[in-house]
Amino acid sequence: MYPNLLTTNQAVDPVFMFIFGACLVLLLGITATMLVFVFRYHRSRAPEPTSQSSGNIWLEITWIVLPSILVLAMFYYGWAGYLSLRNVPKNALPVTATARMWSWSFTYANGKTSSKLYVPVGKPILVNLVSLDVLHGFYLPAFRVKRDVVPGMKNHAWFVATKPGSYDLFCSQYCGVGHSAMITSVEALPEPQFAAWLAQSASMAEHPGKELLEKHGCLGCHSLDGSPKIGPTLKGIWGRKVTVMTGGVERSTIVDEPYLRKSLLEPNADVVKGFPPIMPPFGKVLKEDEINQIISFLRSNGVEQSPLDGKKLAREKGCLGCHSLDGSVGAGPTFKGLYNKQVTVMQNGTRLTVTADDAYLSESIRQPKAKIVEGFQPIMPPYPDLKDDEITALVEFIEAVK
Amino acid sequence: MGSADQPETVASSFWNDTGRSGITSWIFSTDHKRIGLLYFYTVLSFFLIAVSLGVLLRIELMAPGRTIMGPQTYNAMFTVHGVVMIFLFIIPGFPGAFGNLIMPIQIGAQDVSFPRLNLFSWWLYIFGAAIIITSLFTGGGPPDTGWTFYVPFSERTTTNVSLAVFGVFVVGFSSILTGVNFVTTIHRLRAQGMTWGRLPLFVWSIYATAWVQILATPILGITLALIIAERLLGTGLFDPARGGDPLMYQHLFWIYSHPAVYIMILPAMGVISDVIPVFSRKPIFGYKMIAFSSLAIAAAGSLVWGHHMFTSGMSDTAILVFSFLTFVVAIPSAIKVFNWVSTLYRGSISLEAPMLFALSFLLLFSIGGLTGLILGAAATDIHVHDTQFVVGHFHYVIFGGAGFAFFSAMHYWLPKFYGRRYAEKPAVVAWALMFIGFNITYFSMMVLGMKGMPRRYYDYLPEFTALNLTSTIGSWILVSGLILMLVNLFRGLLKGEPVGDNPWGGATLEWSIPSPPPTENFVEEPVVTHGPYDFSGSGIP
Repeated sequence: MYPNLLTTNQAVDPVFMFIFGACLVLLLGITATMLVFVFRYHRSRAPEPTSQSSGNIWLEITWIVLPSILVLAMFYYGWAGYLSLRNVPKNALPVTATARMWSWSFTYANGKTSSKLYVPVGKPILVNLVSLDVLHGFYLPAFRVKRDVVPGMKNHAWFVATKPGSYDLFCSQYCGVGHSAMITSVEALPEPQFAAWLAQSASMAEHPGKELLEKHGCLGCHSLDGSPKIGPTLKGIWGRKVTVMTGGVERSTIVDEPYLRKSLLEPNADVVKGFPPIMPPFGKVLKEDEINQIISFLRSNGVEQSPLDGKKLAREKGCLGCHSLDGSVGAGPTFKGLYNKQVTVMQNGTRLTVTADDAYLSESIRQPKAKIVEGFQPIMPPYPDLKDDEITALVEFIEAVK
Repeated sequence: MGSADQPETVASSFWNDTGRSGITSWIFSTDHKRIGLLYFYTVLSFFLIAVSLGVLLRIELMAPGRTIMGPQTYNAMFTVHGVVMIFLFIIPGFPGAFGNLIMPIQIGAQDVSFPRLNLFSWWLYIFGAAIIITSLFTGGGPPDTGWTFYVPFSERTTTNVSLAVFGVFVVGFSSILTGVNFVTTIHRLRAQGMTWGRLPLFVWSIYATAWVQILATPILGITLALIIAERLLGTGLFDPARGGDPLMYQHLFWIYSHPAVYIMILPAMGVISDVIPVFSRKPIFGYKMIAFSSLAIAAAGSLVWGHHMFTSGMSDTAILVFSFLTFVVAIPSAIKVFNWVSTLYRGSISLEAPMLFALSFLLLFSIGGLTGLILGAAATDIHVHDTQFVVGHFHYVIFGGAGFAFFSAMHYWLPKFYGRRYAEKPAVVAWALMFIGFNITYFSMMVLGMKGMPRRYYDYLPEFTALNLTSTIGSWILVSGLILMLVNLFRGLLKGEPVGDNPWGGATLEWSIPSPPPTENFVEEPVVTHGPYDFSGSGIP
């Protein structure tokens, strides 16, 4: 029906225009007729009715037949557009979207996973939808695409981004307390950048701030591993006490957000002692949110000293959607003070008291349903793709939540 | 409740002519008028509770992030708002309140066929409502599933879903029994000369509604019973973790809940079909088409439930069929609108409060119906499904449609039962406030949905802020109009000007008897000699 169809938007938007247009004409017609009648035949102008007509068969036939034709046309265009949403282009790049309460993760053919859906511009993407718990909805308003993510059922959707950019990705099917926070984005990158992103080691910690550092060449002068280069290393920079030269005067300061921001915008205002004042200002190159991402990267990671950050892992894998850090009760027990605590669990219908030690915690991550803490539902999905060192990092993180 | 509102009336009216006294003369009365008022005040109370929740929801959504409540409270609140509005207000509202008050008189009967069953229906409704209210304050807290109780979430949440669902189950029986009672009454108790062709269109609509209540509600009962079985016995019918199918639940749920929309809107259409001719002093245009289209909507409307599931993963063939049938069911609604507008032509139109509500029904219902076409077409539904667009569309149909018709009926018929009426000017001001506030509130939601904001969202991205704030401000205008309307209406019913037997110049039978009516309705059995909209012989003042 649309043999040369390129995008989902082109399938859907004309149908919107047609139905909205027809509806607007009908609504204006009905409203105008009603208002004219109410004005013309108001009792002040028409004290007595001038007709006692109770029907007209030809009028009835007219307003049955014409709307019927109109709605059948709407039905046909709606159906044709829908077929285009269902016919996935053959060259589409497959990605698996995994939904759980309350986060998304996207897995690519090479095994790489991401919490954002990175896609190449101009290439159709086939999204296979997997739910680990309840119903979710995969919704991309910018591409007019939506499909429920049903546990135990193979659903899919496809779309193509024609321009680079960031597009909202919502959960559209109500899924509990975190429903409205189950938001991520489609990041459409030009093909070469996407290929580079996809090729990055899957285990590498992903942070947009780090990408920006790479993209803008910062790492040419600033190392991440502590080795000295033209500029100071970024390893462990957050909170470091440094001596800087300000207008030729030596003073000491702590590296914090205002300092980093100023160093990006006016690099030569406060130069670390011992380094040349040669860095160009980035105020015109970086957007405000990019600066924030870089600062957040420098702050959260302390750069590379811990390749497996348990907290980050817990956030990315969605653990924190159900397990709080502040002692509040979610869908699962809180992590706060959990380590080495005595907990009552149900195992195959019998009650036991166990200590939440390393062995128990790693078993609970590997086989969540083996022992369920009393008072909670057995809803936690298993995480077969977690590696041993990742589980260890998670357990260490839980131990640290006091 | 009702007894406190008793006005000074003529000695022989249904207000004082009973064997019992005090509250028992109401809660154990088998008089259809007293049962009608019992329903009216109970559904109105639930309506006001649910309106308050709706206003709180809108305040929460005024700005992104937390405004007045946390996400769990918000989720429970929209669930309770929906459950109370749908199962405790609008489904029992029309048949229970105005069906009981008006229908027997309009067909020239003394009462319904089974007066004691009628009272039992009200008690079942109260019992079910009490269970639903109890579920809010006991167990794991108020249910947080949305009024649709979708599995598998509704099976896993630790909130008090089982009890709430049981309450809805009980209320469903009340609805079925009312349907049985009304179908029998309309078949068996019509006065001499009250042929099917002379039935007021409100009675036709109540008749069509009663069939939907009888045929569709049992499916809801089965579905809800299965949820309880899933939760308590772990039967595994719907839970994919136990080999069940969540889509089967959605089918079962919508097989009832889509026709339920027609339980809500058909009687409203009946009210409009009665009000517009009276205030135009002209016979309804296309009586047979309007009566027939009520039956057509009731029949075809039972076959369109799948349009709630276009994104669910249901097969494309099913989507083809359900989309087609959805467009088919649009046609009888369009027929009604065209006939109502034609009734105005060359009439003598008086814009009193019932007529203003009826005419705004025409506009709001049209907007609701036309935006329904967007949802019926498969391609466009995908974008707006499960967004604020659906919330706006649904409120246009059910609040702008059924709700405004309910207000029209309150202004049109309640003076008949109190013998007194409200002041006209405040009623018009209240109508204008509600009409303006309504459109600001719900049109903003439809735009939000087009821009992609999903429904049931506690929090939203900054790009949606302006429209959400607009919608919230609209809700305040809407509610201020609602409060003014109710204050004016009830003050008038208790202390207002006395009305005669026929204040509006109506030609249906309820205007031929005293206001308030005597217990037996008719002093002597009426003989009907003309149609319901024949104003030539009805003694127009």
